[in-house]
Amino acid sequence: MSGNRTFRQSMSWLHGWAGLLLGWLLFAIFLTGTLTVFDKEISWWMQPELRDTGVDQPTAARFAQDWLAREHGEAAVWSIGLPTERSPVLKVSTGEDRRAERLVLDPESGARVPVRDSVGGNFFFRFHYSLHLPRTLGIWLVGLAAMAMLVALVSGIVIHRHLFRDFFAFRPVGSRRAWLDGHNASAVLLLPFHLMITYTGLVIFFLIYMPAALDALYGGDRMAMLREASPGAQAVAGGMDRGDQRSRDGASAREAPPAELLPLESFIVPAEALFGSGMVASLRVRHPGRANARVEASPLLGSRIALTKGEAAVFDGVSGKLLQAPAEKRPSALTQRVMAGLHFAQFGGYPMRWLYFLCSAVSCAMIATGLVLFVIRQRLKVAEANAGQGFLRLVETLNVGTLAGLMLGCVALLWAARLLPADLAGRAGWEARLFFAVWALAFVHAWRRPPMAAWREQLWAAALLCMGLPLLEGFSAPSLDKTRLLLELCVFLCGAVLGWVAWRVGKASAADGVSRSLEGAMRC
Amino acid sequence: MSRRLSLPPARRAWLDVALRVTAAVFGGYVLTYAATAALARLLPLARFDAAMLATLLSFALYTGFVLWAFAAASVRRVWLGIALSLPLAAVGFWPVWFGGAS
Repeated sequence: MSGNRTFRQSMSWLHGWAGLLLGWLLFAIFLTGTLTVFDKEISWWMQPELRDTGVDQPTAARFAQDWLAREHGEAAVWSIGLPTERSPVLKVSTGEDRRAERLVLDPESGARVPVRDSVGGNFFFRFHYSLHLPRTLGIWLVGLAAMAMLVALVSGIVIHRHLFRDFFAFRPVGSRRAWLDGHNASAVLLLPFHLMITYTGLVIFFLIYMPAALDALYGGDRMAMLREASPGAQAVAGGMDRGDQRSRDGASAREAPPAELLPLESFIVPAEALFGSGMVASLRVRHPGRANARVEASPLLGSRIALTKGEAAVFDGVSGKLLQAPAEKRPSALTQRVMAGLHFAQFGGYPMRWLYFLCSAVSCAMIATGLVLFVIRQRLKVAEANAGQGFLRLVETLNVGTLAGLMLGCVALLWAARLLPADLAGRAGWEARLFFAVWALAFVHAWRRPPMAAWREQLWAAALLCMGLPLLEGFSAPSLDKTRLLLELCVFLCGAVLGWVAWRVGKASAADGVSRSLEGAMRC
Repeated sequence: MSRRLSLPPARRAWLDVALRVTAAVFGGYVLTYAATAALARLLPLARFDAAMLATLLSFALYTGFVLWAFAAASVRRVWLGIALSLPLAAVGFWPVWFGGAS
C-alpha cells in the first residue's frame, strides 16, 4: 500500500482484508444473533416438559403467592415470572441472585414441573454478545468485530460502482458471477438494516466501549452520569440503583414487624396501567410478610421500542401504594434506549420478530458470500502466481469450519437438548460442550478433506440434522404444540435450503464449473 | 493486496500495512477518545446530553478515521492526524487536569 493508489483501491483493499479477518467472527455473531430473535421459542422447544396450561396471570400470581408462602415463607425475596405470550409458564425463585434456578410451577396440578436442565435459547444470546468468553474480553472482541463490520460496510459502499444497477442483476443459477451478485444484492438490499443493526449493537455497551465523555465530564463515575438520565428523579427504579436500595433495606428487614401481604394479583392491574395491557413480565417481592414489603413489577421487554431492561414499578406490598414509577428519561437517554431497543427487537410482536429474523439471515448470507468470494479470487491469484497455496488452504478451511461448521454445531445443540438423558448431572454444561465439540470437529474435518468435499459433506450433515429434527419429537415425551411445531417446520425449511446449497455445490464441483465460475467472478 | 505485497520491496509494504493497521485501530481509538471528550466538553448542552451525544457519535467518528487511515497518502500523515489527540484531550480534560473539579 503506497501513496499512488486511488481512493477506491485503498477501500477495496480494506474491505477485503477487514472483511476476511473479522468475517469469521462476524458470521458467528450474526448467525447466533439471528437465532436469538427466537430465543424464548428455542428454550421452549429445548425443554419438552414445559406445557402451556393457559393459566392467566392473576391466577398464576395467586398460586405462586400461596406456594411461596408455604414453601419459602422466610425467604427475603420472591421472584415470580408470570406466564406471557412467548413463555406461557409460571416460574418462581427465591433470593437475590438473578440467575438462581427458577422452578416451574403448574397452577392446575399444584405441583412443581420437573424440567430438564438446558442451556436454552439463551446460549445463542450469550454467544452473540460475549462469545462465551469471560464477559469483558468477549464484549470487547464483539465490539472490535462490529467496528470492522462498520468499516467493511462503508468501504463496501465506496467501492461499489453500480450500486443499484447491480442490484437488479442477480443471476443466481448457472452464472459465473452468482457469488458476487449474491454478495452485492444481499448487501445493497438491506444496507440500512446492516448499518442499523451494527451501529445499535455498539450503542448497547456505549459507555464500556467509549468512556471518554464519562471520564471527562463525570470523572469516570458511571452512577453519577446515570443518575442524571431522568430529570428530577432522585432514585431511579432501574437496575443500576438497586444495589443501594438493597443494602439500605437489608438492615431494616429483620426489624420490620410482620404484616399481611396484599394478594399479588392485585398489583397486575396497576402495573398494566403503567406498562400496557399484558405487558407485565414479572413480580418481585422483597420482605414478604413484613411491614416493609415491596413489590416490584417489571415490564415485558417489548412494551415499547426503547429497551426497558432493568426498569420496574415499585409498590408498597401492604398498602398497595405506588412508591416509584419508572422514571421518565431525558430525550438523549431515551435516544440511547431506543437504539438499544431497535437492536434487541422485542417490540412489535411476532411480525417484527420475523422481519428481524429474515433481515439478519440476509446479513449472514452477505457475510458468508463475501468470505466465499475472497477464496474464489484468492484461488485465481494463487493459480496465476503459483504461490500462497498454504494461505489459501487455511482460509478455505476456516471458511468451511466457520460457515458450515457453526450451523452444524447449532443444530447439533438442538439434538443434544432432546437426546441427552434428562436427569444427567450438569446437563446444560454437556449441551454446551457438545456444541463446541461438534464445531471443533468441523474444523478438523475441513482441514482433512478437499475443500469442495468438506463443503458438501458438512452442508449435507447440517441439512439432514435440520430436516430430521421433527423426527426427534417421536423419541421424547409427546410435547408438540404450536410453538414447537412451528420451530420444527422452520428448522426443516432451513435444512431444505442448506440441502439445496449442498446439492448446488456438489453439482458445481462435479462439473468442474467452480474454477470457471471463479474466473467470471474475478473479471467483474 | 497480496499481489502488491509480493512486489520486490515487499518488506516495506508489510511495514506500511502494519503501521497503518496499528495507527487505524489503536491510534484511531485514542484520537476518537480524545475527540469524544472534547466534543462532550464543547457541546452547548446540559452535561448529560453532551456526554450522551458525543458518545453516541463516537463510533461514526472512529469508522471515519479508520477509513481515512487506509486512504491517506502516507502513514506519516495518519500519525500526524493522531497527534491531534493531544490538543483534543487537553480541551476535553482541561478542568480535570488543571482546574480541579469541573
